[in-house]
Amino acid sequence: MAGSKVKQDMPPPGGYAPFDYKRNLPKRGLSGYSMFGIGIGIMVFGYWRLFKWNRERRRLQIEELEARIALMPLLQAEHDRRTLRMLRENLEEEAVIMKDVPGWKVGQNVFHTDRWVTPLSEELFNLRPREELLHKRFGFLWYV
Amino acid sequence: MPTKLDVPTLQELKVDEIKVSSSVLKAAAHHYGSQCDKPNKEFMLCRWEEKDPRKCLEEGRKVNECALNFFRQIKGNCAESFTEYWTCLDYSNLAELRHCRKQQHAFDSCVLEKLGWERPDLGDLSKVTKVATSRPLPENPYHARPRPEPNQTIEGKLEPAKHGSRLFFWNW
Repeated sequence: MAGSKVKQDMPPPGGYAPFDYKRNLPKRGLSGYSMFGIGIGIMVFGYWRLFKWNRERRRLQIEELEARIALMPLLQAEHDRRTLRMLRENLEEEAVIMKDVPGWKVGQNVFHTDRWVTPLSEELFNLRPREELLHKRFGFLWYV
Repeated sequence: MPTKLDVPTLQELKVDEIKVSSSVLKAAAHHYGSQCDKPNKEFMLCRWEEKDPRKCLEEGRKVNECALNFFRQIKGNCAESFTEYWTCLDYSNLAELRHCRKQQHAFDSCVLEKLGWERPDLGDLSKVTKVATSRPLPENPYHARPRPEPNQTIEGKLEPAKHGSRLFFWNW
């Protein structure tokens, strides 16, 4: 087209320096087996730590349960006394309330047997405000 | 014929109660379990054998006495370290023992040097023990009616049935 006098963008004299144009995909890094090995090794280490911590948690749980075992007689005795006290108060209230009713035996057992029957909480909290019964039944529940 | 329910009077039920909150009890639980072991085990044995709380009021009273003495001894000797321990336990909702190891260690060493009590090892309080007691074993704790007599033994030779079980159509 035009002559060689036109200013054009030409390669430098002597040409460009040689450069790599072939594919360069070097083989590097760990092999597949060793990657699996490292993964499995990390998992095994994780399991070992988990099992150790679970054993430690079991020991802690046993310690807390033993605290409960140690305190149980005290709490059971207090609970028994409380139940008997409430039954006694209910009996006295019943004597006061039902004194004019003919043919009513105060303190009559509801059952035909002599043995001790654990009283229901409805029976114990009969003459008390309803909040106390609800607290007894649901006071310590965390779920609905 | 329903009988009268025997409830003990308020006077019989009057016992010196321990007015102490739950984290205090839990802080002292391990030492309490090893020190006050005897009355505790007797009360539980009585309760489980008689199956009647009215019969075990005396043992319950002894349990309370032992617990009161225990707390008096702690209060007399190791009050500050015990207070630190149970206030640390009281801080969390569940009163987990593992958050308060330092204070527990301080309390344990104080109790060991002043009173000579050792904290029981893990698993010691859950061991099954035999309790020696002077109370006799109750017969018929369930107040059961007398059991019927067993069937009389059949005299004479027993043959197999003549036509089998005779159930529906089976004749063997």
